[in-house]
Amino acid sequence: MMISYTPGWTASIREVVIGATAAEGGTRRISYRIGGESDLPCIGQGKKPLIAFEICDDPALWPDVVRSACTKLIDNPPAWASYVDTTLQADLIRLNLTSTRRRNFDAYDSVGKTVTAILAATSLPLIIEGSADAEIDSEVFQRCGEAGEKERLVLGTAEAARYRSVAAAAIAYGHSVIAQSPIDVNLAKQLNILLREAGVPDDRVIIDPYTGALGYGFEYTYSTMERIRFAALKGDADLAMPMICAPSDTLTIKEIRGAVHNHETAVSWEVATSVAAALAGATILVVRHPGSLTQLRKAIDSLWNPEVF
Amino acid sequence: MALKALDIYKLLPKKNCKECGDPTCLTFAMKLAQGKAEPDLCPYLDEEAKNILGASTRPPIQKVTVGMGTLSFTVGDEFVFYRHEKTFYHQPGILYAVSDTESDDRIREVISQVRGCKVTRIGIDLLLNGIAISADSGSSERFVAAISTVVSGNPDLPLVLMASEPAIMEAGLAVCGNYLPLIRGAGDKNIEEFCSLAKKYGAPLVVSGSDLQRLAANVTRCTGLGVTQMMLDLSGTEGEFVRTSTLVRQTALARSVPGLGYPVFLDARTTGFSGLITGIVKFASVIVVNPLSRTEMQAALVMRQNIYTDPQKPIQMTPGLYRVGTPGRDDPVFLTVNFSLTYFTLQGYLESTRRSCWLLIVDTEGMSVLTAVAAGKLSESVVKDAIEKFAVADEVNNKTIIIPGYASPLSGRIEEYTGWKVIVGPRDAAEIASFIEEELK
Repeated sequence: MMISYTPGWTASIREVVIGATAAEGGTRRISYRIGGESDLPCIGQGKKPLIAFEICDDPALWPDVVRSACTKLIDNPPAWASYVDTTLQADLIRLNLTSTRRRNFDAYDSVGKTVTAILAATSLPLIIEGSADAEIDSEVFQRCGEAGEKERLVLGTAEAARYRSVAAAAIAYGHSVIAQSPIDVNLAKQLNILLREAGVPDDRVIIDPYTGALGYGFEYTYSTMERIRFAALKGDADLAMPMICAPSDTLTIKEIRGAVHNHETAVSWEVATSVAAALAGATILVVRHPGSLTQLRKAIDSLWNPEVF
Repeated sequence: MALKALDIYKLLPKKNCKECGDPTCLTFAMKLAQGKAEPDLCPYLDEEAKNILGASTRPPIQKVTVGMGTLSFTVGDEFVFYRHEKTFYHQPGILYAVSDTESDDRIREVISQVRGCKVTRIGIDLLLNGIAISADSGSSERFVAAISTVVSGNPDLPLVLMASEPAIMEAGLAVCGNYLPLIRGAGDKNIEEFCSLAKKYGAPLVVSGSDLQRLAANVTRCTGLGVTQMMLDLSGTEGEFVRTSTLVRQTALARSVPGLGYPVFLDARTTGFSGLITGIVKFASVIVVNPLSRTEMQAALVMRQNIYTDPQKPIQMTPGLYRVGTPGRDDPVFLTVNFSLTYFTLQGYLESTRRSCWLLIVDTEGMSVLTAVAAGKLSESVVKDAIEKFAVADEVNNKTIIIPGYASPLSGRIEEYTGWKVIVGPRDAAEIASFIEEELK
């Protein structure tokens, strides 16, 4: 009697390239080809998920627990990026342009300058999280895209109601797009179709199914991720994009705001959410607390260890 | 393989006698196919039909109970690979490990951690499930002493006894066998001894094997020796565990290997927190872990609650008028739906603004704002009913209500129908702070 695994899948996840090395026309020291999996997470020959660390350019809107963990760096994004690269050793950096969330924001020149400064401070590939307001999206994403031309950035976030500006910047400057939908398989699919119709190639889209906070509906995210992965492996090309999970909501929940040991709490909850998301199919995990990185790295290394029973 | 309803129907007497409680044999067959009825309910089945049906309608994963009394827990009896296919039914037991080489004081400290771990979320108490005692000293006396330390004063706490030497296990069972501990230690070489211990005490048995084939064969041997309550030992690194437990779950659901249709045991003492999380999401039924930090324990219990929530029944809030902070008559009234995720998210953001306000939760049958608007579950009449039922006008001076951004198409109709002024709030709760700052100064 042989007990063997018969996956029965017919398709695989599409590959997306993030970052460009000198040989690829950019200035990054490494580029990543994510996706390509033809089975469930951790099964078969799938690649290890990447761990991104998220920083921001205006810390006023950042979670208190992270602000107090990064006090010396929080007001200096390039130094923060460099620390994330060399000391924390993240795989990539996500820069969240929180400055654009200020009321009547119009300092568009500073957006380009910030992106340029971060690109100079680290040679890791970058994800840029731009504005969240349709009225300024066009200008913001244009500046981000331009400043990172040839670097194959990942630009976010496209949503069903506001995706044209980010799509236009990605097409014009050769970047990829994060497509975020509110924890729903069909809405994720619909947005991917909209992006394709807007001219974004399928191999430059990463799905963000939206990560509900642990204890506040994370199970919806978990199952939506499983369903997206399942649909992709069964051949639905509109859902065959790699997924990103950013459990940032987890850092703003009551348990962490009110906790005595809130650093430990933040790390435990961020790691738990990220490990589960990786097992549901996320290929980029975004964390914000420096303490989460080592623990998450160890877990992912162990999960994706190629030894087979 | 599971039989289809029509295949089952062919085996039934087709008398439509209703004695099973169903109107026809066909409806009874459909219930049997879904595992919602037992073949024994039919008084007219012949022996052969009973055998066929018994084997195919039994749950693909055996139900196993650990411990006795109110803290005992049942695992197994699962039917799906993905929780969204139906639901996961029996959440894994999580037990803290102690070693018989540790001092009695240390063991008592771990017991008090297990006893005192309660985490209350959305009105439900989340608990650790018991203690696992491992025989590392090599001495029966020491193992017995450690067990006695746990059992005296805590006879209700479910136990796992871990010892690979049958004589040591026997000594341990002599102390606590009556409490139906889970016993772990049976492998390729000592199956007979462990089976006779399991039978003597009626205790469930964890069976291991050097590979899956051997494991399945060992389980079949145990079945032959009369043991029915078993679990499969799939302990290993996080990666090994995911691969084997995935394979075992698929095999069990396909009913292709009888020896693998049992719940899964995971010793996560070496992998710790990440091993525990992996076990929770990937099919483990009993997880033994060294004592965790309080924050890790909370995160793990909440993860278990999330993963074992029934996806078909969203957790709902009771509709009503809730207070955030200590609102007065001039503080704003926010309206939202009774989908628990929406409620807790919004409540969290409102609390972080440190602005007291009222939160009116209307009944949308647990739907989110977007789906409730689309399905007509959030409408002007639902809002009006809620305002009246919860006497919102008695609490505030201004008849103004702030509705979620996604409900903006309803704003005009709500104003006309209720006579209240409507302000459209943000679509995303994360923007509530800036909304309050800008719009409600």
